[in-house]
Amino acid sequence: MDAGYEILEHTADVGLRAWGSSPEAAFEQAGWALAEILGAMTEGPGQVRRVRAQADDMAALAVAFLDELLFVHESEEAAFAAITVSRVGARDLDGEVEVVPLSGEPEGTAVKAATYHQLRVATEPGGHTEVTVFLDV
Amino acid sequence: MEPERLEPFVWRIPVGTVDGMRVPGIVFASDQLMGKAVADRAVLQVANVATLPGIVDASYAMPDIHWGYGFPIGGVAATDPETDGVVSPGGVGFDIACGVRLIRSDLEWERDAKGVIEELVHTLAARVPRGVGTKGRMRLSREEMRTLLAQGVRFPLSKGVGTDADAEFCEDRGTLADARPEHVSDRAVERGMSQLGSLGAGNHFLEVQVVDEVRDARAANVMGMFEGQVCVMLHSGSRGLGHQVCTDFVKVMDREMPKAGIEVPDRQLACLPLQHEQAQRYLGAMAAAANFARANRHVLTDGVRESFEHVFGRSASDLHLELVYDVAHNLAKLEDHQVDGRTRTVCVHRKGATRAFGPGHPELPAAYRDIGQPVTIPGSMGSASYVLVGTAEAAGRSFSSTCHGAGRAMSRTQAKKVMSGPALADTLREQGIAVAASQPRLLAEEAPYAYKDVSEVVSVCEGAGLSRVVARLRPVGVVKG
Repeated sequence: MDAGYEILEHTADVGLRAWGSSPEAAFEQAGWALAEILGAMTEGPGQVRRVRAQADDMAALAVAFLDELLFVHESEEAAFAAITVSRVGARDLDGEVEVVPLSGEPEGTAVKAATYHQLRVATEPGGHTEVTVFLDV
Repeated sequence: MEPERLEPFVWRIPVGTVDGMRVPGIVFASDQLMGKAVADRAVLQVANVATLPGIVDASYAMPDIHWGYGFPIGGVAATDPETDGVVSPGGVGFDIACGVRLIRSDLEWERDAKGVIEELVHTLAARVPRGVGTKGRMRLSREEMRTLLAQGVRFPLSKGVGTDADAEFCEDRGTLADARPEHVSDRAVERGMSQLGSLGAGNHFLEVQVVDEVRDARAANVMGMFEGQVCVMLHSGSRGLGHQVCTDFVKVMDREMPKAGIEVPDRQLACLPLQHEQAQRYLGAMAAAANFARANRHVLTDGVRESFEHVFGRSASDLHLELVYDVAHNLAKLEDHQVDGRTRTVCVHRKGATRAFGPGHPELPAAYRDIGQPVTIPGSMGSASYVLVGTAEAAGRSFSSTCHGAGRAMSRTQAKKVMSGPALADTLREQGIAVAASQPRLLAEEAPYAYKDVSEVVSVCEGAGLSRVVARLRPVGVVKG
């Protein structure tokens, strides 16, 4: 498939592997994987929030992006109706999410943070990108 | 990998198991627990930690070891500032100063509480905020947050919440004096200001328990505990504030580390020498987050007291709802220990491990000087929990550390396949355990069968000399986030 994700689960840990034909597409998929783990996927329309992140390399950028989504989820107690990454640069990214307030407790796993553990982001010359991130739950 | 058995419950991971190990790994485990630790590669993580600059003695793991993020859960590592020893935020974890407190009462289960347990659990569930996000019992301004981060439990105390004894029986008397709120980011503060006095989600919980076996009558008596007594155990941490502090500093250290000439086998082990400015800032921010965590459990305790007062129609002081002890299991601290025959001040990282000072240690409250520091080990929901005390022996074995819980044995998805959340709640009710969960379908993720046997974990700790069992408690009411 062109773009997608899978949730990686072992004994005590939860991670995600996401891919797409561009870094932007792969990061969006990583965002959806996180939303599914959180039990925070919903339908729009919702409020639009700009998401920006900075880091020294693309792998750290993936962690920073997921941390931004976690912050929006927790501080607004909101689920995601749309996740768009418009630009992934060498050291920063731009995007926006559409959020809807949660109705009651999400039926998902609470996530504390994205980690650098076994972190991997690989981009092929054609742009195809794969992201692997483990989460602290 | 070939761990060498040194003693019945002590295993060595020799230097050379992974490249760059500076000291061996030492794992405290039974055959069965060791087998699991090798199988889930947590032992490899013990070896990875042994590569950290300035690590002394050994990279240790407690019997509840399991695979973590960089550091194993159950890991203990001490580093020496004099030999360029490092501090690693990943060696403390995201939930800074997450810990457990035990509150005793003068209530007897059969006589006083059995008949009202459903009402009690539902009252607690209504008065103790829990779940994802969640507004806590106290909402603070930014300015108040800065004071709280510096003062720990003294802040809610100054607002009339809790008692002086609550501070006395908390690790560090509830306040880490070296906290530096100025190094806590605005975002971390923002996450914390609405969450003081909230339980959180995941494996955090509040349980009403009954002391069902006393094994050390003298120590139990000193702790005010007796068979048949109703107690409350509370497991929570520093919430979004602590998560953000860790997130901020892992990122900083990951960036600065190459400039300091440090390489680590896993980026989550990111670290800097203790003298480095960013390391000092982390220690100050971490201490501030620890102050938040203690204050959080302190404010939650107020919700517990209020609930008991409501149900039993007596005041909390009349019910003797008093703190037995509060201690963290995710923290790094500068402590004096004997290393190579002399006393050195080292930075002891405990990630999913609990400090357990033996009798006579000056840090202990005067009341516990003779018995050693109490340690509360939560079982998983529905299974037994334990109260232990530290031993003098542990000072020379594990930098005065012991286990922190059972440790997962099954993934969350696997656990939910065994039984649905509502079915598990029914099973617990059949066992006479009242349950209130904000996410009933998720209850099974934290089912007792998803965890290792906590009884085996504490008996290995006893066998290895890390701590002694004082009492066992069984749950009669569970409140989950």
